[in-house]
Amino acid sequence: MLEFFRSSAVRLALAFVVVTTVAITAVFGLVYLRIGEANEARNRLILEAEAAKSVDRSVEELRTAFELRLTHDLRRIDYAALFDANRKVMFGNIDQLPAIPVDGKSHFVAATRAPGSQERLEPAIFVARQRPDGTIMLLGRSLLESLAFRRIVQRALAAGLAPMLLLALGIGVFFARRASRRLDAIHDIIARIMKGDTHLRLPVASRRDTIDKISYDVNLMLDEIGRLLVQLKGVGDNIAHDLRTPLAVVHAQLERGLESSNDERLRAAAKQALIHIDKAMLTVAALLRLADVEYGLKSRNFQLIDLSAVCADLFEFYEPLAESKSIKMTLETQSSVQILGDDDLMREAVSNLIGNAIKFTPENGAVSISVGREDGRPVVRVRDTGIGVEPAERDKIFQRFYRSASGHRVPGSGLGLSITAAIANLHEFDLRFDDNRPGAVFEMVGRGNAAEQPSASASPRALKSKAPLEL
Amino acid sequence: MTGKSEAHPKSILLVEDEKEMADEIRSELEGRGYLVRAASIAEAADAARVGDVAMIIMDRIVFGEDSLVALAGLRKEGVKVPVLVISALSSIDEKVKGLKAGGDDYLTKPFAMVELVARVEAMLRRLDDVRTTKLRVGDLEMDLIEKTVYRGGVKIDLLPREFRLLEYFLRHPGRVITRAMLLEHVWQYHFSLETNVVDVHISNLRKKIDTKGPPSLIVNIRGAGFMLNANA
Repeated sequence: MLEFFRSSAVRLALAFVVVTTVAITAVFGLVYLRIGEANEARNRLILEAEAAKSVDRSVEELRTAFELRLTHDLRRIDYAALFDANRKVMFGNIDQLPAIPVDGKSHFVAATRAPGSQERLEPAIFVARQRPDGTIMLLGRSLLESLAFRRIVQRALAAGLAPMLLLALGIGVFFARRASRRLDAIHDIIARIMKGDTHLRLPVASRRDTIDKISYDVNLMLDEIGRLLVQLKGVGDNIAHDLRTPLAVVHAQLERGLESSNDERLRAAAKQALIHIDKAMLTVAALLRLADVEYGLKSRNFQLIDLSAVCADLFEFYEPLAESKSIKMTLETQSSVQILGDDDLMREAVSNLIGNAIKFTPENGAVSISVGREDGRPVVRVRDTGIGVEPAERDKIFQRFYRSASGHRVPGSGLGLSITAAIANLHEFDLRFDDNRPGAVFEMVGRGNAAEQPSASASPRALKSKAPLEL
Repeated sequence: MTGKSEAHPKSILLVEDEKEMADEIRSELEGRGYLVRAASIAEAADAARVGDVAMIIMDRIVFGEDSLVALAGLRKEGVKVPVLVISALSSIDEKVKGLKAGGDDYLTKPFAMVELVARVEAMLRRLDDVRTTKLRVGDLEMDLIEKTVYRGGVKIDLLPREFRLLEYFLRHPGRVITRAMLLEHVWQYHFSLETNVVDVHISNLRKKIDTKGPPSLIVNIRGAGFMLNANA
């Protein structure tokens, strides 16, 4: 949740709410002030004009006019009265002349007793004007109406602002969540790409907004990185490719030289050279094989194959080798573990794992192979009690050419695990390593789309679930 | 069809566009007494049709042309000449394709010449094979129907995998057999191994069949593989 508020999208949304609120309040306030002012100004003008017009009327005419006016004033907002020269009221609905100059101009009086009422006080505008006969005419209008009007606007403002605020907040959160969802999706995809799913790309919607633009650019960048990666590997593969013939030719010539020469020193040198050329040819062949698996075989037609049969076959194949080192080799299989794949490639991958396990396990050790399904996912696991892998080396063992420092005297191209990993990947399996304390556990686990969290209880009988893998 | 009449009946046709490779193969095979002729795909096909060639070694791609098309055509016509396909394409798919098109064996570059020679000799040897139910070398006798092995009249119990291994040797007596050939033809494993597991299988087999003590029936050929001693 904290992360949610930290995101730039949420900050934007909150800013949006604040700005919207300020803008709406400003508009309402302006309307409120304007309406009040306009009403008052209009009343002032009318009063002044009426006062000016009535100056020439006779007292009797005024009395009639005032009576008529006050009778018609159902809302009780008009004031009208005539005072004599001593400022004593002659007639009208107000007893005392308010404290305003008698100048025919309108004046504001804050508290005036309401017309026809004894206690109500309210603001009003008054005009007092001296008549030619010395009397003073007073006209006024209560501002009650415009006050009421203001209150209506106030209430409307209050009533309107709360939903408006909520609406703005809602819209802001909606957009923030949508944006953060997209950003989260992008984050997830980038994480998967970094884990090795280099073919993945960020989603680009047709909205053409900033996120889309950035996603598009990132995708271009990924394409470019992918191209460079392919190029880089291609360089290596091309070198391997070009070395094939010269190596084979040198090999052949040395062999023939060895047959035809009797010079012991030359023969010894040739024998040494042959050993190294054999090694080089092994590496070149493995590199080309790796390139084949990684790039050449994506379109191959997979068939239903049985991993149990693959493991049983390899178990029989490797059994004599294990026996010759007094290694106890065991096999645990379930009746049939069918997957979609390539029989020969899977054989090669598992063969590499078993071969390695025997190679790195000292005499009287143990190698156990198990194959089955765990949580619906196919698993092949090869455990040994050998030299294991140093913690510092664990993330390197799947790299090309990497061979454990302690395993350097054991012959091999250093590409076996790379090829196994590539084959596993081709079959949508993960190749993982775990510590067997002592020794190593290598396992190939189908990615499948079955349950993400492995649960110990669901594990099939033969395969005991282990502590989480540390990779 | 030039030079057809002059051709040695046991000549090997070599269809390979990589000159250094072709030169090496030729001098290697000629050094072993074979007559080797370079040929284009079309020339090789013509020679095969008239039957004046012992076997064909052909590269998978020759001057950009896929030689498997011509090979499949030949097989359709019923031409049975043994064909060894060599190729830079190492994926199993390609091997399967090569064998399906009618190749008798498939070799991936880079290979050691001993590997090529061993396969060529195994293929030429196969010409002399007849359909048989019994294989015999010296006093070692294998009954393919009964699945039994006798040496000097004494029965030897073999595991099925040991039986298959021995059968392969008995079918190619006196020939160099490489580890890769055993992997491919006995176990059907089309990949290379970094362990000496094949040697262990051989040594286990030796323990069972060498009932008369040394020298062993199956000898190591340094830098190449093994051979069943045909004169034992």
